[in-house]
Amino acid sequence: MKIMNCPLNGPRNISEFTYGGELKAMPDSATCSDIEWADYVFNSDNAAGVVTEWWMHTPSSYWFLAERHTVTDQIIRTFDPKEVFNQRVDFHANSTALKGVTA
Amino acid sequence: MNSLTAEDFKERSPLYAKHKGACLAPLAETVAVERFSETDEHSQLARCALVDLTNLARVGFRGTDSAEFLLSKGYHLPETPNHATLQDDGSMVARLSQTEYLLLGSLRDAGTRVSDLEAHWQLSEQANYLLPRQDSHAWLLLTGEHCAAVMAKLCGVDLRDGNFTQGAVAQTSAARINVIVINTHTTALPSFHILCDRASVSYFWDAVLDAMLEFGGKPAGIQALLD
Repeated sequence: MKIMNCPLNGPRNISEFTYGGELKAMPDSATCSDIEWADYVFNSDNAAGVVTEWWMHTPSSYWFLAERHTVTDQIIRTFDPKEVFNQRVDFHANSTALKGVTA
Repeated sequence: MNSLTAEDFKERSPLYAKHKGACLAPLAETVAVERFSETDEHSQLARCALVDLTNLARVGFRGTDSAEFLLSKGYHLPETPNHATLQDDGSMVARLSQTEYLLLGSLRDAGTRVSDLEAHWQLSEQANYLLPRQDSHAWLLLTGEHCAAVMAKLCGVDLRDGNFTQGAVAQTSAARINVIVINTHTTALPSFHILCDRASVSYFWDAVLDAMLEFGGKPAGIQALLD
């Protein structure tokens, strides 16, 4: 079986993992257009080459990032999301609610 | 055999129907299998046995302040994730991630220290959040000299002594369901604590017993663990 290295748990069978989609930069939900937000939520780049993706180790519910070549399916690197996300992201209730109304 | 029956208690193990004919003993507010047969089960534990500890107290905590909270309650904590520390009273703290801890109660006090901790927890400004584990997980204890060989039939992770040492924790898949395996080997008794989805434990119990067959494995009760 294919083996993936979980940054928390070590090497595990690929059947223990769940794919979570591409890592994408989140637009500012308070200022972006509906089209930009919908593009962020629903669309994928589906690039051929090395991409960074979200994966979860299911038995521990641990989310991490993986660099994977989408053509060869080679996993190049897996790492803790703290390498990318080192600041808390807050969502303001007012701006979110307003967006719901205008949509 | 005594006259206790699991049906007389509000909380009962999801495996209680598989304990028919066993001798039961009170365990805090509920009941557990004391022994499965009239014969001494110590030798069975040393060889290969499976014990249902589902009715023993357990709880989890998660948050950046969880370590501070547990230290203030007198618990010794593992320094790194995926390790467990045995406490002086026989209970255990397993660290499942940077900020998540799982507490397993001791048979010596029928799990009351851990169940009291859960009962008295209150949401506060402290980033320490309760993770109730009594109804989400079932808890089995696999004992004996063959326990690593039994798990090798069910699980892709190498749980032999050289690779999986005393106090190590593996969050993985066994018999195709998610499990937490904790190595609690002592010189007297090799053992793995195994926690799995409570709704799947009836299947998992049978799967482990089937894997234990070739090693002469049988279910056992808690009495031999207490002696």
